[in-house]
Amino acid sequence: MRNAWLKWTMLGVPALIAAGCATYPDPGATREIAEKMVGGDFTAPAPALLKRLEQDKSQRICSKIGDAKLTQAEAAEVVALARASIQYPPSGKLAGDWKIGSRLAHDGAGDRIQFGRLEKRKENGGLCQNCHALAPGEVNVGNVGPSLTGYGAQRGNSEAIARLTYEKIYNAWVYFPCSNMPRLGANHHLTPEQITHLVAFLIDPQSPINAR
Amino acid sequence: MLNMRGGLAAIAVLCASVSAAAQSTDPLAVGRKMLAEDNPGELWIERGKRLFHERRGPRNASLEQCDLGLGPGKLEGAAARLPRYFPDTDQVQDLESRLVTCMVGLQGFKREDIVRTAISPGGSNGSDVEALALYITSRSNGMEMKVALSHQKEYDMYKAGEYLFYRRSGQTDFACVQCHGESDKRIRLQDLVNMTDRKQIQEVVSTWPAYRGAHFVVRTMQWRLFDCFWQMRLPELKYLSDTSIALTTYLHYQGNGAVIRVPGFKR
Repeated sequence: MRNAWLKWTMLGVPALIAAGCATYPDPGATREIAEKMVGGDFTAPAPALLKRLEQDKSQRICSKIGDAKLTQAEAAEVVALARASIQYPPSGKLAGDWKIGSRLAHDGAGDRIQFGRLEKRKENGGLCQNCHALAPGEVNVGNVGPSLTGYGAQRGNSEAIARLTYEKIYNAWVYFPCSNMPRLGANHHLTPEQITHLVAFLIDPQSPINAR
Repeated sequence: MLNMRGGLAAIAVLCASVSAAAQSTDPLAVGRKMLAEDNPGELWIERGKRLFHERRGPRNASLEQCDLGLGPGKLEGAAARLPRYFPDTDQVQDLESRLVTCMVGLQGFKREDIVRTAISPGGSNGSDVEALALYITSRSNGMEMKVALSHQKEYDMYKAGEYLFYRRSGQTDFACVQCHGESDKRIRLQDLVNMTDRKQIQEVVSTWPAYRGAHFVVRTMQWRLFDCFWQMRLPELKYLSDTSIALTTYLHYQGNGAVIRVPGFKR
């Protein structure tokens, strides 16, 4: 009798522990498991392109899970890093040609990777149309970001507005840490010169964005 | 006269129903409804069924002994419980990775050959895996999604999927949540599903594989995830990778209770 009890205990307890202990891994273990996956689960035509999967410090801070909020210190760090990233065009002129800007704003292509090839073009598109309303009455526009219709008509085209607009496009996290907007200049998706054309598209009184 | 009156009545009914649809808040609803009622994806089910029972591959075997989690050949409700842990492979597997395990183990196909052709070119006749995945999932039609977490590796997969859903990287700084974290959002005119909303998750997990109108073929969940990473400018997600299975586990578990009805119809 006593032996039987012992035997059940010996067999049963480890089984119970094995079954009962399965539970959610803690955040550290989760990170380790998931990062290992990312390290092995992707291919690219050139090893350097795999680096796109590596997170920089800001991206790590901005990857909050669920409803977790940024702390004030984290937000300040993201802003400081963003501020330090900004480079201005060599010419110093922040508002370029709105016509080129319009074409770029409606171009969503460039730098994608598929079937072992990198989509290489003369230049990357600005992606704006994907997420922002642009000229009045333009239908094929997204709404993930705020409407840009009348952007310049509301703000004017002063040097200060040109600078603010340039910086927002170059690295939106200067003003909105961890916002959904890609850091288009800081990530080298767009060149400083391309960004000046987008600035003009937004603030030039002649641009269709500011049509009444 | 009677016929004419009947015809007029029919026209009146037709007009009433069209204008009712047109008056709904979503201007694209009419087109979607018309498309959903006539789904070419149905054709893939028959093909998948034939492929499942046919003796094929180097071993000249059918897939009738394939164990998708409920026992060899048991298909009813099997897809509703995937992904899940399989002791024989010691892995959490989704429908497609388990299917490939069967095609390799039972039929003798080469894994790399299947993987290379699994996602078919748009406008083609589609791949065997796409047809089989749809057929197998269709055998859970009308049943509720019922993914369980019990094995440690299932918990690990779920949490990894959650982590990856929020993990930002690359030159667009995107994680999944940047496009799929709010309701009523669009990329240009394409509606985005809010994958933090239970109802919308359920709508998604119960309608893949789906006929993709723009590609003229049936697409699977593996394809859906692969295509997202492409738009995010990230490197190519490997077919059947753990990353894909983690994200699918995360989404499917949250979609539990959804009634499966495949093929879905996507734009």
